[in-house]
Amino acid sequence: MKAYLARHLQVFMRTIGDFTRSPAATLLTVVMIGVTMVLPAGLYVGLVNLQRLSLGWQPHGSLSVYLAKGMADTGVVAAIRRIPGVAAVRYISPAQGLREFETASGLGAGAAFGRRNPLPGVAVVTPADSTPGSVARLAGRLKALPGVAHVQSNLVWIERLDAALALGRRMVVILALMLGLALVLIIGNTTRAAVAGRTAEIAVVRLVGGTNAFIRRPFLYAGALTGGLGALCALLLLEVALAALNGPIAALDRAYGARYQLSGLDFDQALGLLGLGALLGWLGARIAIGRALRAGRV
Amino acid sequence: MIELKHVFKRYPLGTEALSDVGFAVAKGEMVFLTGPSGAGKSTVLKLICLLERPTRGQIVVNGHDLGRLAPRRLPFFRREIGVVFQDNRLLNERTVFDNVALPLVVAGVAGDDIRKRVLAALDKVGLRQRERSFPPALSGGEQQRVGIARALVHRPALLIADEPTGNLDAALSDDIIDLFREFNDHGVTVLIATHDLRQIERSRKRVIRLGEGHMVNAP
Repeated sequence: MKAYLARHLQVFMRTIGDFTRSPAATLLTVVMIGVTMVLPAGLYVGLVNLQRLSLGWQPHGSLSVYLAKGMADTGVVAAIRRIPGVAAVRYISPAQGLREFETASGLGAGAAFGRRNPLPGVAVVTPADSTPGSVARLAGRLKALPGVAHVQSNLVWIERLDAALALGRRMVVILALMLGLALVLIIGNTTRAAVAGRTAEIAVVRLVGGTNAFIRRPFLYAGALTGGLGALCALLLLEVALAALNGPIAALDRAYGARYQLSGLDFDQALGLLGLGALLGWLGARIAIGRALRAGRV
Repeated sequence: MIELKHVFKRYPLGTEALSDVGFAVAKGEMVFLTGPSGAGKSTVLKLICLLERPTRGQIVVNGHDLGRLAPRRLPFFRREIGVVFQDNRLLNERTVFDNVALPLVVAGVAGDDIRKRVLAALDKVGLRQRERSFPPALSGGEQQRVGIARALVHRPALLIADEPTGNLDAALSDDIIDLFREFNDHGVTVLIATHDLRQIERSRKRVIRLGEGHMVNAP
């Protein structure tokens, strides 16, 4: 076992040695793979941030329940609280609503409606489940309550956002599949060129009793290492892009009085990206060297 | 050790390289395989190493019937033989030590053992002091001796050489053939393909002659 590991270590070190002997070619391939991988990774990060941002704007897809005039608001609010699927209820009385309106609109006290307050009492309901189906069912139950004049939900907005995010997620998957295939082809082609450049060496290895596994090994290490380094390059590019975007976003935050910071991939996701790069690199090399061995070119 | 029975070899373009060739080499023997260019000497060696397969006939090497050898057993069969080429086929970007160590690395020999055996092999061919050199920095004779060290480092039962003195002057050729004789004295079976008649006469070993793909003398 010790000898087996030592042999693998030796091949790994030789692979690194080969990389350092042709740094420009290695760097070019690694950056090419990095750019290929950063596209789906960047789109994924963008989607996650968009989702976080939308949740910040509309926490849990709240429902505004307008109470009928002349009903005892406290009784209706208590009835709302008893409905299953309601996580929280915030009651805004007509007087409080008027004050908030006057503050938000910049109009002075009584300037908007005179002495009369036309605003109804409003219960802002937070659903326990913010999926569009659950929110729609809850809206229906709320409308059926006596004392409820109107229920306004941001359901359409939630559905549209949900559909847009689903489309985005699907695009990430399609883009990732296509660019994953591109990565396999890039490394496959690099491996094919490397095999062609080492046919004499491979012939000697065969002559002294080298197995196909022995011949494949350095190419597989090179493929996995190239893919892994490409993924590392993608992570760096992503961080640079996020750092570049955070400045303008901070300025936008100040203008809107909000507080938001773009987040990148977490540690597990970054590790997953590195592993995926190495795996796809290994796969590209495995296909290329396998084809060469089967065709008897080496 | 080596037995060829009614061996024929026809290449895809129709050239008949060997026609009904048969001979035997006993264990521990040293034999020269000779004949003019195009006689089929190299083809015989390629068949023995299984670099080519015969069109017809049977070849048995070190107890293996090569016609029945499974492809996955081929690398392990090749570890039982050592091969020296006229052009020595050294890897120019690897050191002399790494070139000689290759059969041991391939066979999975442990690092310490590799070092001992490579240095011993280089010692035998008189190149211990050149272990860190790269092949292009060596003379033709030195390169050929590195090739011989690589062929012998894994202690094969059979040593095959294809025109090992083809590119060397007379004095260097004598040294190389003397090395083969020395290994043969230690029990290694040696088969050398050459048209160097001087070396054949000097060595006083059995000779198998080929001409245009046929046996010329009886084995």
